[in-house]
Amino acid sequence: MAEPAILPEFFALLSIDVFLLLSLLTCLLEDRFPKAVPYVYQIAALIGFGHLLVSREFLSLFGEYMRFWYNFSYLLIALGNIVAINLYLAVEKKLWSLAKAWSGMVTFPLTVISVFFVSNYSYLQGAEFPTLILQIGLVMSAIVMGVSISIFLSPDLLNKLKRS
Amino acid sequence: MEIRKMLFRKEMKLVTLLLTSLLIATASATVYYSLTVTSTIQVAQTVVKFELGLDNVTAGATLSPDNTVVTMTNLKAYPNASYTYTDPVRVRNNGTATYQMRLKPVSLSGNTTEFVYVRFLLRNGTSDTSPTLASLNYTCSGGSWTNTGTTSWVDIPNTEPDTRYAITVETKAKDNAASASVTIEIAVDVQ
Repeated sequence: MAEPAILPEFFALLSIDVFLLLSLLTCLLEDRFPKAVPYVYQIAALIGFGHLLVSREFLSLFGEYMRFWYNFSYLLIALGNIVAINLYLAVEKKLWSLAKAWSGMVTFPLTVISVFFVSNYSYLQGAEFPTLILQIGLVMSAIVMGVSISIFLSPDLLNKLKRS
Repeated sequence: MEIRKMLFRKEMKLVTLLLTSLLIATASATVYYSLTVTSTIQVAQTVVKFELGLDNVTAGATLSPDNTVVTMTNLKAYPNASYTYTDPVRVRNNGTATYQMRLKPVSLSGNTTEFVYVRFLLRNGTSDTSPTLASLNYTCSGGSWTNTGTTSWVDIPNTEPDTRYAITVETKAKDNAASASVTIEIAVDVQ
């Protein structure tokens, strides 16, 4: 079997970057979140870093299957946080426009990126995901592209979002 | 009080978080890179390997299962007469690329007085007329052994199906030599 292009630990690396991004974004939108949230995400990223460090020492002990699942779980937690923030903005804070912008600029792209890497990894491991996931991924990409083009063609939309 | 205010300004917070984020992201990427480096090692087929030559029985040559180690247990040195094992073992390039090879002394133990020399010649072919590409000579004189040191690298292209590179062994014991033995280990480096 061919050597996989990415290791399972790549998902941990991706999750760390997601947590760091969340930390910076919540800092930028600090008026809408509790003050501690950016630091909590920094700590979450640090935990991921520690997890990578420890994982390196036990590579031979854990099999590929086990490594994939604990790294993938960490990625799911990171993605869960993105969705949670989206829901928090929409439901708790009633900031619909911001929630929509968040879902278009953070939730969808990161979900699509994650799906891409997970399906790529699974394909290389010989366990292809069902075609449905690919179709869903493509539909999501099309939506994101549509939103991006709308914003590009009518910049007033952004101003409206800012005012809200 | 002013300093305290400045520290808590949004820009300062953002810059601090940005710096720590960069630090964590870089450190994580470094760890991941080291993981990719340490986890891509796999067992591969040997491309350049030994195979037995025509004189393998005379020399008592045997190969390891992977043809990467050869042991010759029946080599003889005759008093005041040189003896040549022209083709006890060969090196064969099974790959498609040209590799380089050299002979390197590793260890020697045993008698230091009854021999004259033991020579290892890397030949471009398997006959006694094949040119010598490299030679590693052990000379025994005055109670000790000396050798000519690691040879320079020589090319061993893959010119299938006929080319083999024999390692010829030449031996000689001193005149009226008593019964004695010496064990010599050499390495055949390939790159």
